Amino acid sequence: MVRPSVVISLILLFELVACDASGRRPEVAQNLCTIPLTHVLRIPVTTLAPQTTADVSPATLMISPGATDEPPEGPDGFDVLGDGSLLITDPLRGQLSSFDSEGKFRKAWKIGFPADSVTVIANGLVLVREANTGRLHAYDQDGQSRPVQGDVLPERSEARVQPGQNRGTITRPSIGNSAGGPLAIQFDKPGLILLSLQSLATDERGDTYVALETTAGGPTSEAINLNKYVRRYSFDGRLLAEIADIPLDYYVSPVDELRVHKGVVYQLQTTGSEVRVNVWDTNQLCSSGSH
Amino acid sequence: MLFRLTLLLLCVVLISSLPNHAQPGVVAQLPRATRAEVVARAQRLANHTWVCGASNLRASCSHKYLSDWKPGQRVTGIPYRWGGADGPEEFDRKLANGLAAGAHSRYGILSCAAGIDCSGFVTLCWGLSHTGHSYSTSNLRTIAGKPKYNWFTDMKAGDVMNKAGSHVVLFTGYNPDGTISVCEASGSKSRVVCTKTTWSRFKGYIPLVYKAIDD
Repeated sequence: MVRPSVVISLILLFELVACDASGRRPEVAQNLCTIPLTHVLRIPVTTLAPQTTADVSPATLMISPGATDEPPEGPDGFDVLGDGSLLITDPLRGQLSSFDSEGKFRKAWKIGFPADSVTVIANGLVLVREANTGRLHAYDQDGQSRPVQGDVLPERSEARVQPGQNRGTITRPSIGNSAGGPLAIQFDKPGLILLSLQSLATDERGDTYVALETTAGGPTSEAINLNKYVRRYSFDGRLLAEIADIPLDYYVSPVDELRVHKGVVYQLQTTGSEVRVNVWDTNQLCSSGSH
Repeated sequence: MLFRLTLLLLCVVLISSLPNHAQPGVVAQLPRATRAEVVARAQRLANHTWVCGASNLRASCSHKYLSDWKPGQRVTGIPYRWGGADGPEEFDRKLANGLAAGAHSRYGILSCAAGIDCSGFVTLCWGLSHTGHSYSTSNLRTIAGKPKYNWFTDMKAGDVMNKAGSHVVLFTGYNPDGTISVCEASGSKSRVVCTKTTWSRFKGYIPLVYKAIDD
């Protein structure tokens, strides 16, 4: 005859073991908020062909399908303006196109060169990088050319990965009341290895957005395979939210892959039939949580 | 029965002993190259400076050709030409002869243009200047094998990442943040460039090691 107290003790012991096995960082699992894709902005494209004329709709972006040993070309750079509107490069037409926050075409800036990167800097100027030379050009937000004086791209926060240990650090800038300094990143997902870290932005409240590349594969897989996550960390280093469903099937490889604006993460994904801007709002699901 | 089994076993052993891309004659004739030599050639192609003359803006064999450059423009990096495999000396000679500086696939393979494409670039870096443009991303595996090491930690400068039918880049190193550095003949940048990049660009690519590399 087994005593009831022994049975209860065994059940409690089992629960304890199961809980420990489910995750080594229960404090992270409890607070972690996984952000689903909020919405997708879809912008039509025109495919460059021998019969393509100059009078194609300005509301589209142009792509070239390339050929054997030449990957497709097209929009590969973008940034988000203060009102949530978008500036996207249209290198095959030597212009930048502006779209509102719903993806509706506003206007095109004729810049006269192929651009591969756009960055809106703190003083509101738009820095555009010429793809063929790497040279920076400055514009105001109406598309008027401005002299490039002391305007330089914001320095990226330094990141470091400790190989084989699934962890690393980001050195954050001091912004507002946030003192900045090192942010420890720990990546604990069974079977996945942390490959790289990239600081995307630190917002005015001191929250930092980090892109993580991870892989489950190595030499045994047929080809290079990986996943990408974006995480939001609080100023005091707590993991607040994670985006885990970032598609990496690019038709045109982006130069500006991810942007963050007011807690919203944007991804540029040019496909063979449209330019998608995938949007994740990290403010919504986590607003009642830890911050 | 025993004879049949022995015969079957012999066949299996023979088939499994054949290399996947066995072309010993081709491999024996490949020029040897150290990794330092490969990277030095890549940097030379990326750092080669030239000036685009008025005659280099036009392609005499294509009426629809549009140049990537402006007259008198000083450019760093051999220009991208689909189907091209010109090294610095050959490129300078063609430029002096008035050939167009670079061309994309939308204009076809232009004999009246000078420059280099992605597979021309990596084979030139490996030292295969004498073969012209014999290798593309589709048959690169005849001269470069798939490594057994961990790609994410053990690639060496001079290896490549290849996507058959699409693109190939030369790996030059890992960075402290876990990203990688590569050199490539880039169509979207219209020239040879060396850049730091994330892994996500290379999803679906296969690392390859040149079969005549001297480690």
